[in-house]
Amino acid sequence: MDTLTEERATLQETMSFLGAISSGIEDAVGESAGSITYVAGKDLGKRFAQQAKRTDDLEEALAVVRAVLAENQCLWQFETFQPSDRESLVRSTEEGEEILLVFRDCMIRQALFLYGHHQKGSLCNMMFGFFAGAVETIMGRKSSLEVLHAGENACLKRLLIHR
Amino acid sequence: MRMEIHEQACRGCRMCVEICPTKVLTFDEEACLAKVGKVEDCIACLSCTYLCPSGAIHQEDYPRVKNFYRDLEFCGRMEKFL
Repeated sequence: MDTLTEERATLQETMSFLGAISSGIEDAVGESAGSITYVAGKDLGKRFAQQAKRTDDLEEALAVVRAVLAENQCLWQFETFQPSDRESLVRSTEEGEEILLVFRDCMIRQALFLYGHHQKGSLCNMMFGFFAGAVETIMGRKSSLEVLHAGENACLKRLLIHR
Repeated sequence: MRMEIHEQACRGCRMCVEICPTKVLTFDEEACLAKVGKVEDCIACLSCTYLCPSGAIHQEDYPRVKNFYRDLEFCGRMEKFL
């Protein structure tokens, strides 16, 4: 087996392992699995973004998060989404500033699909926590990421920066 | 991106209209068929395409998710974790 084939096989095994953890932790721990993985992801996000540039601007913060992900070899590409009936990318609500994000390449999604596990589970929560933790560190404000839709080729999420 | 619904294949079940997170698809009550509305709002999640029982929805020129363990660049970048 050549090196590349070995790497592919190892990566595939890692993905199946991730999928199994995701599916197993919910059975083992119960309803709190989501919160546990969310907090774990948030801590990681905060740690990764510790040295990142601080900013108050949401769009700039997203660019910093993108850079943080790239620096840490995290393959989690996202882009902002502005529906045609929305006047601006960032919307101000009672809760805070909100922006819609589309996530395309996601290792978690692929790991889940590979063995037929469902989306929006504990592994997804870990990644949302990671994102929220990174944004929170960069902007210095509480943030949360909510899944509006988990699709086969892309997921739509709402990032809220609380007041 | 381009999106089409094959009129003869559509059974009017509305599943695609209901699943679409950005309300790209509409329903023509008179013809009892799903129609493509604001295609510019489509995020290419492909949920409608996968869900359609008659495979009537067709999309073109959309960003396809790369398969991590089959992509050379991704495999290379993952090396440090393996």
